[in-house]
Amino acid sequence: MSMELDKCLENLYQGKLLPEAVVRALCFKLKEMLIRESNVVHIQTPVTVVGDIHGQFHDLLEIFQIGGPVPDTNYLFLGDYVDRGLYSVETIVLLVVLKLRYPHRIHLLRGNHESRQITQSYGFYTECLNKYGENSKVWHYLTDFFDYLVLCCIIDDEIFCVHGGLSPNVQTIDQIKIIDRFREIPHDGAMADLVWSDPEESNTENGNHREEFYRESSQHFQVSPRGAGYTFGRCVVEKFLHTNSMSRIYRAHQLCNEGFQVYFNGLVTTVWSAPNYCYRCGNKASILELYGKDDFYFNVFEEAPENKLLNENAQANVTNNKILNDYFDSGDELSENGSTDMDIFSDAYQAKSASSRRVEYFL
Amino acid sequence: MSGKRYHTKGINVIEVNSARDAHARTVHARLPVNQQPQQQQQDFTREQLPIPSRSVYPRPSATTPRHICNNPNNPPCARCGTTIIPSPRATLPLEDCPSVTIDNWTISTRKRPILNSQEFENWESNKLKGLTLPEMIFGNNYVRVENTRDNWTLEFNALDALKHVKLEDSGIRVAYSQKWIDSKQEKHRKNLPEGASFDIEESSLKIAHHYDWTYTTKYKGTESGTSRLQRDDEAKLPIDKLSRPDNILFYDDMILFEDELADNGISMLNVKIRVMDERLLILSRFFLRVDDVLIRVIDTRVCIEFQENKVLREFKEHEGAYKDIILRHRSSHSHDPKAALRDSNWVVQNTPLVSRQCESLAF
Repeated sequence: MSMELDKCLENLYQGKLLPEAVVRALCFKLKEMLIRESNVVHIQTPVTVVGDIHGQFHDLLEIFQIGGPVPDTNYLFLGDYVDRGLYSVETIVLLVVLKLRYPHRIHLLRGNHESRQITQSYGFYTECLNKYGENSKVWHYLTDFFDYLVLCCIIDDEIFCVHGGLSPNVQTIDQIKIIDRFREIPHDGAMADLVWSDPEESNTENGNHREEFYRESSQHFQVSPRGAGYTFGRCVVEKFLHTNSMSRIYRAHQLCNEGFQVYFNGLVTTVWSAPNYCYRCGNKASILELYGKDDFYFNVFEEAPENKLLNENAQANVTNNKILNDYFDSGDELSENGSTDMDIFSDAYQAKSASSRRVEYFL
Repeated sequence: MSGKRYHTKGINVIEVNSARDAHARTVHARLPVNQQPQQQQQDFTREQLPIPSRSVYPRPSATTPRHICNNPNNPPCARCGTTIIPSPRATLPLEDCPSVTIDNWTISTRKRPILNSQEFENWESNKLKGLTLPEMIFGNNYVRVENTRDNWTLEFNALDALKHVKLEDSGIRVAYSQKWIDSKQEKHRKNLPEGASFDIEESSLKIAHHYDWTYTTKYKGTESGTSRLQRDDEAKLPIDKLSRPDNILFYDDMILFEDELADNGISMLNVKIRVMDERLLILSRFFLRVDDVLIRVIDTRVCIEFQENKVLREFKEHEGAYKDIILRHRSSHSHDPKAALRDSNWVVQNTPLVSRQCESLAF
């Protein structure tokens, strides 16, 4: 089995897709493994915490370059592996195989995008159809496996990690442990809040009225103006940490331009790992290297150079992924051309990228 | 290379020239291959060309193009008629401020990454107080058209666009909002008799901070100068002329802001510009999709006739129920109906027109 997995890894690291039957078998195996895990996984430092990836496969490879390869480095991923980026399938399948091959070296939490409903709107469903054909079931295999992903992780018994944030239905860790997680992410309740909610920092230097509002808001969970979903303030966090004798929270879920964002004097920190998000934001990303309870380092990085050509293609073909698929899917061609070694600063590379850029006679 | 060339003091001419060469090659490579400068055009340099007097307006002809490129970093157009396509993302140390001048009209654009956290904070607590800002703000981007003779400017930028977002309840709620609120109230009622100190209070089920979370903006561009556009609903864009495949001299396409509405859809403001020999067209499009609720497209088109010194601005609002629009698609393509909802051109053709206004200005 492990030999087969190594063969899969070899192909995946080169950006090749695995056959549908293999994806099916892998998902089945991983579900078998995950069904035995608790909703809350306990692990020890050292570990590197990774935030949203969103199908930016080349940046995931960059993370393994920067943070060290699996299994030499332990990893905890906070969810949102798919959607928006152009290589969700490659990203999630690589993580699936790594988890099967090195189950104690890599841990995968569930994000709000690991859901059937969300992936139909934000690109993963479309990508599966484009890459495996309209009658393939790859999307079904993968979204079925998403139902088995764990919800939270606790590092060294005192650092709480989750994709989104806290829930008014969760005061203790035990309340998370009793959630029936083997299902599509619901619209409300503890499971939804854990993957959806956001911290809201008070901003006291503003006017009195606002100050009052924030003092009020820090006490409670607030309803978002969208009419569903919570934001949580400082007091909510302090109470949760005190009740469960923990020191801080790491979460992902929100874009931060510098790669990470500190809330409430460090009680909550967002880790964001998708540089140049959606191939156009120009933001930085980071991974959090935790060596001990108070020994940590945010390793900040920018987008992988391989993205450049792909990005520019992407901009020219927002509605037409054909060229990208041609470029990436045909694995044989890729290795023939040695594209992985291509010098992105070379004239040839630049010219290739420019030729795909075009103007539009919009009206 | 042998070291012998380098024993003179100061910067070696060869190095400077080769650096210039390398830079020129990079810039050249941005042009689509089929539009790269022909041999004959490479024979003259831009610096030697006389700048035509701005008081005469010769009829455009194939032999004497009349536009002037204002930035040496522009791809080498040299008034050769090739298109200027700014690179998709400006990188340090070279910042792209592509610009072109035709008669007394100067067109320039700028594209930078999203606001960093310092800028973001400044906007949030000063410039746009009271508004929870969209996730991605390309606050340093702009598209600017300037009439240098009559001192009139029209600019599209994110800050002014966001100033048009209302700081009140939009009345729009995400699809599952009612269900969500109901279930909270239900839970709350159940909990009350037991006297459990729950974090959620009746008051916190109300939305505390109202703003238009859809970021709907009726922004039509920022006008400055002594003259102003006047309401003129009879006026019509010269669609026949704009449909002609006239050579495009300058083209750019950028996002001003974008928000994913916490994965409930998308809200985005995008500006495109194309400049031809005789006229230019700008399309500023606000695109809103609230999943399972509604679709809204607000288009502002600006057409400027250089010869006649005439400006025309058309403003159109489209809006429709999500289910009606997706139904139009289901009949034709059943596999992936939601993919079409990401294509704003398809959407606008299938969304009812709610209102239209037109303004004009002649110098």
